Amino acid sequence: MTSGWRHKAFSYGVVIPFAIVLAFPFVWMAVTSFKPEAQVYDPTKVWTFHPTLASYSFLFHHTGYLRWLRNSSFVGLMVVLITLAVALPAGYALARLSGRVGRSLGVGIFLTYLVPPTLLFLPLSRVISKLHLEDRLWALILVYPSFTIPFAVWLLMGFFKTIPQELEDAALMDGCSRLGSLVRIVFPISIPGILTVVIFTFSLVVNEFVYAITFISSSTNRTLTVGVPTDLIRGDLFNWPGIMAAILIPSIPLALVYNAFLNRFIAGFTGGAFR
Amino acid sequence: MPDTSDERGKEETRLDRRELLKKAAVGAAAVGVSGAAAPFSFAGPHKYKGRWLKGDLSIIQWVHFVPAYDDWFDNTWVKTWGQKNDVQVNVEHINNTLLDTRAAAEVAAQSGHDLFMAIHPMASFEDQVINHAPVVQEIEAKVGKYGPLGRASTYNPKTKKYFAVSDSYVPDPVVWRHDLWNGIGEAPYTWAHVAKAAPKLKQIGHPIGIGQSQELDSNMALIAFLMCFGGFIQNADNHPTLNSKHTVEAVKFMTDLYKNGEDSVIFGWNPASNNNYLYAGTASMILNAISATRTPESLGLPFSKDLWIWPIPSGPHGRLGLEHVMGCYSIWKFAQNKQNAQQFLADLCINYKQATLASQLYNFPSFPGAFSFDQIRKAAAADTHPPKGKYTILTTIAEKYTHNIGYPGTTNAAIDEIFSKYLIPQMFAQVSQGKLSAADSVRDTMSAAKNIYAKWRARGKI
Repeated sequence: MTSGWRHKAFSYGVVIPFAIVLAFPFVWMAVTSFKPEAQVYDPTKVWTFHPTLASYSFLFHHTGYLRWLRNSSFVGLMVVLITLAVALPAGYALARLSGRVGRSLGVGIFLTYLVPPTLLFLPLSRVISKLHLEDRLWALILVYPSFTIPFAVWLLMGFFKTIPQELEDAALMDGCSRLGSLVRIVFPISIPGILTVVIFTFSLVVNEFVYAITFISSSTNRTLTVGVPTDLIRGDLFNWPGIMAAILIPSIPLALVYNAFLNRFIAGFTGGAFR
Repeated sequence: MPDTSDERGKEETRLDRRELLKKAAVGAAAVGVSGAAAPFSFAGPHKYKGRWLKGDLSIIQWVHFVPAYDDWFDNTWVKTWGQKNDVQVNVEHINNTLLDTRAAAEVAAQSGHDLFMAIHPMASFEDQVINHAPVVQEIEAKVGKYGPLGRASTYNPKTKKYFAVSDSYVPDPVVWRHDLWNGIGEAPYTWAHVAKAAPKLKQIGHPIGIGQSQELDSNMALIAFLMCFGGFIQNADNHPTLNSKHTVEAVKFMTDLYKNGEDSVIFGWNPASNNNYLYAGTASMILNAISATRTPESLGLPFSKDLWIWPIPSGPHGRLGLEHVMGCYSIWKFAQNKQNAQQFLADLCINYKQATLASQLYNFPSFPGAFSFDQIRKAAAADTHPPKGKYTILTTIAEKYTHNIGYPGTTNAAIDEIFSKYLIPQMFAQVSQGKLSAADSVRDTMSAAKNIYAKWRARGKI
C-alpha cells in the first residue's frame, strides 16, 4: 500500500510539473486573447484585467480570418488526400516488395524531407510561374506533398513492416488479389498509421509558412500562417490579443483530435520501432 | 466465465471513437467542400462602379504601421488614380520582414508585381529592375529636385542608374522617458550623457533599450551610433573603411553601455521588441520612428505624455542619424505594366503631401518640394498630443540629422548586403557578449566587408 502510494506520488510529481510547463503557453495565449490591448503591456494587469471579446470581434469582422481558416482547411484536406493516395501504395511497396533496394530507397525518400523550404522556395517559384499557378491555392496543393509524402512514406513503411506477412499470404491463398489484400487486410489493420499520417500531414500543412508567403499574395487566397502576421502585425506594432486569439482558435480542435486518438497516434509512430 | 467487462468497455470506447471519427470526417469534408470555393472565388482587381478599366497595375508593399495610411492609399489614392488613368490597380500588403523574401522569389520566378516597394534600398537587385531616371525626371519637373537622401539611397553613380525611386523616408529619433531621466537629473544630449545616466536608470529598473540583434532597428541604431563616433562602413568613394580606431572606440563604448545600462534581452530582438520594451514601461530610451510614441498615445498608456522625441545623441564626431525606414519602389524588368507603374509612381511622389498627412507625419517625402519642411513643421506643431509641439523636432531631425545607409558614400549593393546580413549588429554583439575583443570583432567584420565589396566591384556595381 505504502509503496503504491509512493509510486503514484512519484509519477504525479514528475508528470504535473511537465504538464504545467507544456500547458502554460496555451493558458497564456487564452488569457492574452481576452485582454484589452492597452492592458497587454501593463505588468500590473497580468492576471487581473477586464476581459473582453474585442480581439475576437476584430478577427471575425475586420480581417479575412474565416477565409484564411477555410483556405488552410481546404489546402490541408487536399494535401492529406494526395499524400495518402501516394504514400500508402508507396509505403507498402517499399516495405513488402522491394527487398534491400526498398529499404535504401525508403531512406533516400525520407532524406528529401530534410531539405528545408528556405532552399527550395526559389526554384519552386520558377516552377509555379511556369505553370501559371501564382497566387492560387493549387500552388500550395502542388508543392506541399513534396515534404508530406516523404515523411508519410517513411512512417508507413515502418508500420507496414509490423503487419505479419502471414495474414496477407493467407488472403492471397484464399484467392484475394494483391490489391484486395491491401484494401481488405492491410489498410484496416493500419488505421493507427494512417491516422498518424493524416494528423501529421494536416498539422504540417497548416503550420507551413515559407511557401505560403512566397506563392500567395492576394488577401483572399491567404492561409492562416500568412494572414495572421500580415493583418495583425502592422510595421512594428503587434496586435497581441488578436494574434493570440487567431492561433488559439485552430489549436483547440487540433489538440482535441490529438487527444482523442492519442493511443493510435503513439501506435502509429512506434509501430515500426519494435519489430 | 471469462470476464468480458473490460472488453465490453473497450468495445464501447471503440464505438465512441468510431462515431467521433465519422463525425470528424464529415466535418472535415464539409469544411473542405466549403473551402473548395476559395480558389475559385473572384479575387480579381478592383472593379470601379459602372465600367471595367482598361489597364492593369499590381503593387506590393508593406503593411504600414499607421492603418490610416493603408486605408488612404488603398481606398482613396489608388481608386482615384485608377479611375483617372483608366487602370485597374491591385495592391497587396505583406509584413515588412517578408518583403526581401518575396523579392527574391519574384526574381527567381521572373514573374511578380509590377511595382515592388521595399523599406530599404535594394541595391543588390539593380540588374533586375529598369532604370528609373525618367520617373525621377518627371517628378523633378513638377515638384523640384530629388532630395539628397533619396538620391544617395537609390542612385548608382558607377552605372549611372536609378535602381529605385524613394517616395518617402522615416526619421529615426530617440524616444526617451522624460519623467525617468528628469528624475535622475539627466537628458540624452550626447552619448556621454547616455553612458552616465544608463547605470542609474538600470538601477531603478529602467534600462536603455538599444538592440544588438539581427533585425532592422538594431541595424539602424548601431550604424548611426557608429557614425556619431566617426566610424563609417565606407568613405565617400564607396571604399570600405570600417576598421578604424573610431569604430573600435565606438564598439568599446557600446559594450560598456550594455554592461552598465542594458539588459541581455537586447540580443534576441525583432523589429517590434524595442517598442514592446518601451510600451511595457521598462525601457527608458530607444531609437525608433514615431510609431513608438503614436501607439502609447492611441492605447492611452499612462506614460505616453512623458515620451519625448529628440535627435540622436551627439558623439565625438557629431550628431549623425539614419532614416528608420525608406520607402523604395522598383519596377522589375519583367513587369507586365511598366508604363502604368512609372506613371503611378511619379504621380504618387508628386502628390506626396496627402501621403505624409495620411501617415500622421510618419512618412517624409523624398522629394521635399512635394511638401516642404516648413509646411510639415506647421502640421507637426498642430498635433495636440502632450507635450504639445513634441513632433516639431521631427522636421529638424529629418532635415539635418538624417543620412543614407552608407553615408558618406551612396547606398550600393555592398552596403545592401552588409545591411541584409546584419554584420554591424553582429560586430557589436560579439564584443558585448564577451566572445571577441573590440579590435578582433572589427577586424573580422572588415574582412567580411572587404570580400563583399570585392564581389560587387567585380560585377561592376561599385
